[in-house]
Amino acid sequence: MVSVPDAAPVRRNRLTAWFRRSEAAQGYALMSPTLVVLVVGIAVPLLILIAMSMWTRDGFGFDMTPTFANYERAATEPIFGTLLTRSFFVSGLATFFTVLLCYPMAYYVAFHVHRNKMLWIVLMTLPFWTSYLLRVFAWRVILGYEGVINSAFLTAGWIEAPLEFLLYSQTAVIITLAHAWAAFAILPLYVSLEKIDKSLLEAATDLGDGPFTRFMRITLPLSMPGVISACFLIFIPTTGDYITPALLGGPDGVMIGNLIQLQFGPVNNWPMGSALSIVLMAWIAALALVFLFLTRKAKDQLA
Amino acid sequence: MDVIDQLNAVKTGKLSRRAFQKTLLGAGIGIMTTPFAASRAAAQDAQGTLFTWGGFDIPDLYTSYEAANGAPPDFAVFGGAEDALTRMRSGFVVDVAHPCHTDMVRWVQTGLFQPIDTSRLSNWGDVLPELVALESNEAENGMPWMVPFDWGGTSITYRTDLVEIEGEESWDILWDERYAGRIGMLASGGDAWWCAAIKAGVPFDQIATEMAFEKTSAALREQRPLVRVYTDDTTTLGQALSSGEMVAAMTWNSTAVELQAEEIPVRFAQPKEGALTWVCGLMMHKDAPNPDRAYDIIDSMLSVEAGEFMIGAYGYGHSNAKSFESFTDDELQGLGLSANPREILDAGQFSIPQEQEWESRMNETYELIKAGF
Repeated sequence: MVSVPDAAPVRRNRLTAWFRRSEAAQGYALMSPTLVVLVVGIAVPLLILIAMSMWTRDGFGFDMTPTFANYERAATEPIFGTLLTRSFFVSGLATFFTVLLCYPMAYYVAFHVHRNKMLWIVLMTLPFWTSYLLRVFAWRVILGYEGVINSAFLTAGWIEAPLEFLLYSQTAVIITLAHAWAAFAILPLYVSLEKIDKSLLEAATDLGDGPFTRFMRITLPLSMPGVISACFLIFIPTTGDYITPALLGGPDGVMIGNLIQLQFGPVNNWPMGSALSIVLMAWIAALALVFLFLTRKAKDQLA
Repeated sequence: MDVIDQLNAVKTGKLSRRAFQKTLLGAGIGIMTTPFAASRAAAQDAQGTLFTWGGFDIPDLYTSYEAANGAPPDFAVFGGAEDALTRMRSGFVVDVAHPCHTDMVRWVQTGLFQPIDTSRLSNWGDVLPELVALESNEAENGMPWMVPFDWGGTSITYRTDLVEIEGEESWDILWDERYAGRIGMLASGGDAWWCAAIKAGVPFDQIATEMAFEKTSAALREQRPLVRVYTDDTTTLGQALSSGEMVAAMTWNSTAVELQAEEIPVRFAQPKEGALTWVCGLMMHKDAPNPDRAYDIIDSMLSVEAGEFMIGAYGYGHSNAKSFESFTDDELQGLGLSANPREILDAGQFSIPQEQEWESRMNETYELIKAGF
């Protein structure tokens, strides 16, 4: 809506009247701060990214004739596919282990803690008050050649020489990601477990379900929304993670995020970097849709 | 508004709501604006910014700058020159940047730099002329694009107790399968590619040919399974060498000198094929926000104190001829240096500036190889 300062009073009145009548206009006006942020912060950069992904590098500048050559390269050259698959593999495993390890914690607080629940939640998220980078560095100290694990094992006499696979490997990346993103799993899991109506559990027990069957038939299905959102919250950002593989991955732990960074850095091919980012986004969106579809189907079958 | 008066008012219970809110408002504005006042004061005192390699961000090199301006300059650190250039091309403005001669031509082509007025540098008279007279360094009226600062070599730092040397030292150490998984490499192509070219027997004046490209990348591919990590972080390489996690790594002079100072048995090899030698220097951004301080930074880096620190603590050559005077010939030789840089630069292999096209292709290929392709 553009207000015209010199407009005749009649017209201005009409405009106000229209604004009062139209619910949509009022809605947009209310949303406008958020809308501005969304447009400036997400939609415009995304459009720039899409436009740039169709350009070609030309020395220090860009050749702006639109072409799909970058996407062709992304589809045909083996490095891109391999790194993409590896990223999905690493971040999939990290997501799996994070959710697996965080579920019992969230479960305990939701069902067995009755006083000071908030304090427990705060305590569980306490390690995440430090910076992500610091946590990654801390894992370097733990997993390193002369690190905590290796020195402990050496002192205990369990190993002869330091374990080298601990650092600079995909294992190191998975371990670190699983720890670094734990807070993002605990909170949604806790919320969905906390919401479960305890009388359903009692009913199940009354009707003869043992603890295991009760968990499988009541608790787990009802906490599925939490599990799904935890999976999304971890899988999506870790697939493109840059700093963990850069610091802990070694030559075989490089992920797609590192490759994208390189395109904007030393390789100096911004259009290719943009194309890779778009491809990554498309893949994540596709995988997320499949995941959602499958869980919905499973839910329908349960119902 | 009188503070005492208000305290009395509170005591006697007569503080009006309006007076109380006024006090609150005053206190609120005071608290909110304090940080702005402080940052404005700090902004007036903004130091010059130096964009440099990791390891040069220590106050010891900037004693005269600190004496003149009250604090060391601000630092921004990069791991590779190509990375630095990309960041500046996308709008990162600094006062002074620290590229090497190989990069200089391409850096100048971006139009982001200005020639340096050497009459504003008090130490200019002592700068070794052969380091200034490098290819394409003259901008106009005898003003250079790059003021030389440090020079040295890229070679192998190896553990003398863990690596067996048969005959002469050679680049083969980094390609030796006995040390698989215990070899470190520099991640920036600006060093690694040229060293691999030496190993593959490619003469530097032919490095841009297709043949040379294939031979060099084949050498790097062959080496890749042996490499524990590719990094530009000299601390990571130094620590790995000192713990025995790595037995040999491609490094610059400083890693070996620093480890020797900790009495770790390492040597900075002088490979029979020749080490890679380089000269790096300082360039001034055309939009440098603090040009006066930029000259202060450059001048203090050219000073004898900075030079003695560079030679003594890092084992790098310096561009000030007087910096070498406090070292004996034996000491310099032990560091692989000489007061006459030509001697060293000619003995090693000096990398030649290349076109942007080649540089991008080289970096891309090296990244592919590092990732295993």
